[in-house]
Amino acid sequence: MLADLGYAALVISFVTAIYAVVTSTYLLLGQPSPKARQMWANSLRNSTRIIFPLVFLSCAIIVVSLLRSDFSLDYVWRVSSIEMPTYLKITALWGGQAGSLLFWNLLLAAFIAAAMSRDWRDRPELMPYVAGTLAITQLFFLYISLGVENPFARLDPVPLDGNGLNPLLRHPGMIIHPPMLYLGFTGLVIPFSFALAVLLSGQIDDSWLRLTRRWTLVGWLFLTVGLILGGRWAYDVLGWGGYWAWDPVENASFMPWLAATAFLHSVIIQEKRGMFRQWNMFLIILTYLLMIYGTFIVRSGVISSVHAFAQSGIGPRFFIFLTLMSIISFGALFYRWNDLASANQLNSFFSREAAFLTNNFVILGILFVTFFGTNYPIISELITGEQATVAQPFYERATGPLFAILIFLMGIAPLTMYYKTSIQRLGRAIAWPLLSATIITIVLFGAGMRQWAALIGVWVTTFSLIITLAEFWVASRARMRTKGESFFTALNTTISRNRRRYGGYAIHLGVLLIAFGVIGSRIYQETTQIRLFEGESTSLGRYEMTFKGVERYAGPDDLLITEATVDVFDRGELVKTIYPRTELYTRTGQPMTIPDLRTTISEDFYVLMVYWEETTANAATFRIYLNPLINWVWFGSILMTIGTFIAGWPDPRESRVVAATATRRRVTVTA
Amino acid sequence: MADVSWTNTNPKADILAQPQTNRLKFAIAGIFLFVAIGALLVNALQGTTQLFTTVGEYYAAPEKAVGRDMRISGYVLGDSISYTQIDATSSRLEFDIVDDVNYPDQRIRIIALNEPKPDLLQHQAQAIVEGRMEDGQFFANEGGLFLKCPTRYEELSTETGGTHPDGATKGAYDAETHQYTEVTD
Repeated sequence: MLADLGYAALVISFVTAIYAVVTSTYLLLGQPSPKARQMWANSLRNSTRIIFPLVFLSCAIIVVSLLRSDFSLDYVWRVSSIEMPTYLKITALWGGQAGSLLFWNLLLAAFIAAAMSRDWRDRPELMPYVAGTLAITQLFFLYISLGVENPFARLDPVPLDGNGLNPLLRHPGMIIHPPMLYLGFTGLVIPFSFALAVLLSGQIDDSWLRLTRRWTLVGWLFLTVGLILGGRWAYDVLGWGGYWAWDPVENASFMPWLAATAFLHSVIIQEKRGMFRQWNMFLIILTYLLMIYGTFIVRSGVISSVHAFAQSGIGPRFFIFLTLMSIISFGALFYRWNDLASANQLNSFFSREAAFLTNNFVILGILFVTFFGTNYPIISELITGEQATVAQPFYERATGPLFAILIFLMGIAPLTMYYKTSIQRLGRAIAWPLLSATIITIVLFGAGMRQWAALIGVWVTTFSLIITLAEFWVASRARMRTKGESFFTALNTTISRNRRRYGGYAIHLGVLLIAFGVIGSRIYQETTQIRLFEGESTSLGRYEMTFKGVERYAGPDDLLITEATVDVFDRGELVKTIYPRTELYTRTGQPMTIPDLRTTISEDFYVLMVYWEETTANAATFRIYLNPLINWVWFGSILMTIGTFIAGWPDPRESRVVAATATRRRVTVTA
Repeated sequence: MADVSWTNTNPKADILAQPQTNRLKFAIAGIFLFVAIGALLVNALQGTTQLFTTVGEYYAAPEKAVGRDMRISGYVLGDSISYTQIDATSSRLEFDIVDDVNYPDQRIRIIALNEPKPDLLQHQAQAIVEGRMEDGQFFANEGGLFLKCPTRYEELSTETGGTHPDGATKGAYDAETHQYTEVTD
């Protein structure tokens, strides 16, 4: 009964989405009277807003079914079990294909309802088309939920218990990671819909950028956090001492993130100089299509196993939708190409515009390499008739130099000026940072650092770090001198007076910390695998560890825990006792190897117990990693998040500008 | 009365008035970047491509595998998994993969030296292994053992566990031997 209600709510939301698309098309192509137009537009707006409570009701019913362990629902049986803790039962909403698609629909509906409520008055003449383009995406995902992956599908007879959530997914990082990615993906649908609405309606101006800037930032932030949490989950749970493997599923989220990053940069130039209009439209369309494509890769299995494509019900539908949206969006862009042309053009290589454009090309270069590598099985089969894949070194070799250029540009760009920067001025500005970075690199070389990739990486990252820090320092110092403020007051005022700029620099600082972390942990990671008997020791780097013994005990639910006790010594001094362990879910037989580590700002000493021989005098085999600078990756990620908050925090002055523009527009329309 | 002769003293105006020849320079720079990225791509491909094959495809044309780095995909046969700790620093993990666990005649033996046994290495798990074929056995590269990640939403088969009413296989844990074995209802 309850499930029928949830299904009915889903059907009604699907019909409502169809209504929204049809009404929007009528408003675009038909010629209703102004009064009728107003009526249909209001009806359209309400229809897009009603989808959220309907999908919310469906989701709530799935959650209630999970909490009640109602195994008459196939989905509940697949992802839940009676003894699962309550919080896992709730989060099991996105623990499987059908539920996570429904959850996707919920988040998209929430974003749509928010955009329709918040932005309607700012662009009343554009919003009906925005509503229509948003409804197309919603319609497709509702169709998938209803027609292919129905979360309300029944089981008969009703099983006594369910499968339970995959133990690997029972980790805080994995519980939060999917919703973050979905929020990122769905958030970025909003700026795309504005862009497509501008193209379809022909109401070409730059005001949609200001309206969607915060949506883009929100989407980008969630995508960033989602990627990072995925990496953290891999580091904590998958037990290979790493966080990024250029796996197709990882790449699926990374590619739209890259396109959105390029877009966030180049819209600044459009806002300041009215340039790159066509390019920005291309970038936001690309972001959207890559988002759909990424969802397609993750859910269809087309890349991990190309043979599964024909068997998958979801794959061909995603492919058709992707093709359709590509034709509509690029067709509209092509149709409006000349209308989007800018009167301004690039004046000099040494200008901020050129620096941003180069930054965009390099980001798209990384995106292209990632796309090529991810799709290489398909490409190679088309060309050679043989399916081939590329290994991780391919990505590292191809993207390494591009990342170095990108980081270098991150340092150069803030020193350039709009229109043109004189070479002498630029030379003076970069001289000290360049010299300082070179000296630091030479010192590291003298200290024994010999990997050329690491040396180049440290050199460019230090160069950009000095310039970025100097941006904060110089502006704050000026206030300290002129206003007599303390450093922190001056810094705070500097940031709050130009949040967008300094928020951006804070994000850059985060990226630079991550760059140091990646150089340390990828190039200088050390690893060993060794069997130790009780009381035996081994060493790695400056650390030594002694295996003290193993204890086995029953954990919560059906867990059987086998836990080693290991003393960790740093230069002979006991610094920590750690407990690497395996957890066996006895009912399903699924083991989990849980690492334990000694963590410091400079490195992680990361230990896994990979094998235990009870019968042979309590020997255990350990896999040990020494991951230098790994924590810089996590610190940098936090800084990126803080920077995005600073950049996106509402600015009263900006709100006044938006309000004034909207008022002017209304006056014009009325007149 | 003030002088209202509008002489443009804005330095930006001169820059804006520059001839449109920059377009060519930027086009050349763009082409240069494009070619550079292409060159990076081609260079990176050298020695990093792997022939992707299934068990059946390998047996259909085994000569293709000679001397090549490969990535092979198949489903794990649970009863073939064995892990041996040879001495303090060396171990040997072995298991067989097939295209279809119901037709296990055509199988390939995977050997991974000094690799930990992945948590997901279980009966019917999909394994993707990077390595080389030598003497009819497939030797995994270091860190070349991948079991299908749960984020890919692989469809649970009713045969893979749980207490499905249709009569499924499920695991049994022996507390004395600390062994997990699969049993059929």
